[in-house]
Amino acid sequence: MSLSIDLSIVVPIYNEAESLKILHGEIQAAAAPMGLSWELILVDDCSTDGSHRIALELRKNDPHLRIVRFSRNYGQTAALAAGFDQSRGDVVVTLDGDLQNDPADIPKMLKELERGFDVIAGWRKDRQDGFVLRRLPSMIANRMIAIVTGVAIHDTGCTLKAFRREVIERLPIYAEQHRFLPVMSQGSGARVTEMIVNHRPRLFGSSKYGIGRAWRVLLDLMAIKLISQFSQRPLRYFGFLSFLFMIFGGFFASVGLITTGAQAAAFENNWTVNTWQQTVISVTILIWMLMVFFAMLGLLAELVVHASGMHKRSALSRLMNEQS
Amino acid sequence: MFATEPNPKDNPSAGPVSSQWPPIGQTEVVGSLDVTVVVPVQSGDAEVRQVLQALGCELDREGRSWEMIFVFDGVQGPAWEKVEALRSEYGRKVRTIHFKNPFGESVCLSAAVEKALGRIIVTSPQYVQVDPIELGDMLDEIDRGADFVAPWRHPRVDPVLNRVQSVLFNFVIRMIIGMRFHDLNCYFRAIRREVLEEVVIYGDMYRFLPVIAFRRGYRVVEVKVRHLQEWGRAGFFGLGVYVRRLLDILAVMFLTKFTLKPLRFFGTLGGLVTLSGTMLTAYLTIEKLVYNEGIAGRPLLLIAVLLIVLGVQIIGFGLVGEIIIYSQARNLKEYRIERIWE
Repeated sequence: MSLSIDLSIVVPIYNEAESLKILHGEIQAAAAPMGLSWELILVDDCSTDGSHRIALELRKNDPHLRIVRFSRNYGQTAALAAGFDQSRGDVVVTLDGDLQNDPADIPKMLKELERGFDVIAGWRKDRQDGFVLRRLPSMIANRMIAIVTGVAIHDTGCTLKAFRREVIERLPIYAEQHRFLPVMSQGSGARVTEMIVNHRPRLFGSSKYGIGRAWRVLLDLMAIKLISQFSQRPLRYFGFLSFLFMIFGGFFASVGLITTGAQAAAFENNWTVNTWQQTVISVTILIWMLMVFFAMLGLLAELVVHASGMHKRSALSRLMNEQS
Repeated sequence: MFATEPNPKDNPSAGPVSSQWPPIGQTEVVGSLDVTVVVPVQSGDAEVRQVLQALGCELDREGRSWEMIFVFDGVQGPAWEKVEALRSEYGRKVRTIHFKNPFGESVCLSAAVEKALGRIIVTSPQYVQVDPIELGDMLDEIDRGADFVAPWRHPRVDPVLNRVQSVLFNFVIRMIIGMRFHDLNCYFRAIRREVLEEVVIYGDMYRFLPVIAFRRGYRVVEVKVRHLQEWGRAGFFGLGVYVRRLLDILAVMFLTKFTLKPLRFFGTLGGLVTLSGTMLTAYLTIEKLVYNEGIAGRPLLLIAVLLIVLGVQIIGFGLVGEIIIYSQARNLKEYRIERIWE
């Protein structure tokens, strides 16, 4: 974008009428003393409680404010994506609209970026939420993400994050939750770190999350692993799964061999088998079918990637230019 | 793929044309007219004159400038001659697009939108299905800010059996897609032009246009309209029709909800199948370990393993879906911005 500025702050809002004014004041207090050119992008996810009116009111007195309004409710991920798309800053900071993140952390994050990082993830070390419903599932999810992807971040769920512009432009943020952005960035070559941020209890409104997300996070994790680390060579991912099924099937076959014993080997009985042997044989075949199936899927994925032209010279040189 | 407004010199079978097209003038600008009525002609006995007169009168009465495009979906027959006659009568207000083979209503609509000059597209069936008076109200809704006006025939005049089936169909749609549309089977619709330029439809999507437009973030309004007559068969349709409807619903649900995250769909489905298989296996394991019953020859064991394998395969499809979306549609937007205040 030609009209480049230093800092974009992206805040998705959905029914945050009470906190909006305070939030705006705090962001102003944090951003103004830094002496940078900045903008605040409020992405209104089609709020129904008058947040929109308040935002327009605030905009009258603050030229830094830009408001993007969706035509219907699309969720936080889409709101963040829209904020990224509209942002013009060299650095983009995302922030929750419910005042639980502290805008005073923004200057600290910028300092951290200057030390040579591309992505800073906030870490709500002293988190002010219920333990069983919010913190425990979050801890489990974060551990799993760290183990599966190898990107060790304590708190992927914190909305307060800072990104360099180059990272965002390389990042395909389509359906993914914001929690995977650090993982995706690292997959595309960015240097990622985390920083302890302040977290405050919720003052207004209610939480917009539920525990039903666990399964979806798991599925997203599988997808992220695939596309962030294996999108150039999907056959390896599928080949690995295929290999797992081979081992698993082999395990079953050996169980069958051991339990039936040598004396009952089929060829000695004129190739008739008892029911237990039959079961072991069919289960083994089924599992080995999975092995073949996943290998075929992997080839199919290779075909898709090949046909997409992602390897074309233009696409590659774009990446290289941004990194040099 | 299709021939637009065929020149009778090229195509003598197209029938006699008494008046040639007027030369292209200043009015041939997109948006220069208020309304373009699109009528996909599906059979030779289409009541083109009645449709033209009914809707034309109403539009004239409302004081809106209009044109009507008849799209012949691979159809010959009396309707063609009738439209030729209308063309000489009404001049530029009547236009035709002619497909050599039937492509379906979706393609008819897309082709007509390419050629349409109106700011609002009204689609109509090939007979006067709904009281034309309603058109005024529908256009008023658009003026009031709606992007898409879907009709709801209420009360209906077709046979009870058809009505029951239609209600059932719409109920299933509501359950699966989670939207409150009462009557997707009526094609008398008023649509803002931008919607059709943005939303690409193909195949059997024509029926689901309100659903797709709604999912894409457009404001869809439903208005009750008076039902005049219904063509088409009474009673039960062939089995194939029901199967096709079911597949349509599945496709629309999948494409509107899971295009950007296929693994969420396949993963949930596969997860459920795998879970049921795992539960059966657990049950059998308990039987074996606790009650010491032989489970080797039991069909249940095979079913359990098959379910697990099936579930894992479904998840595998979801992974390929993710690769497809990642590599082919990286710039697909999942949101629609209403307005930006800079």
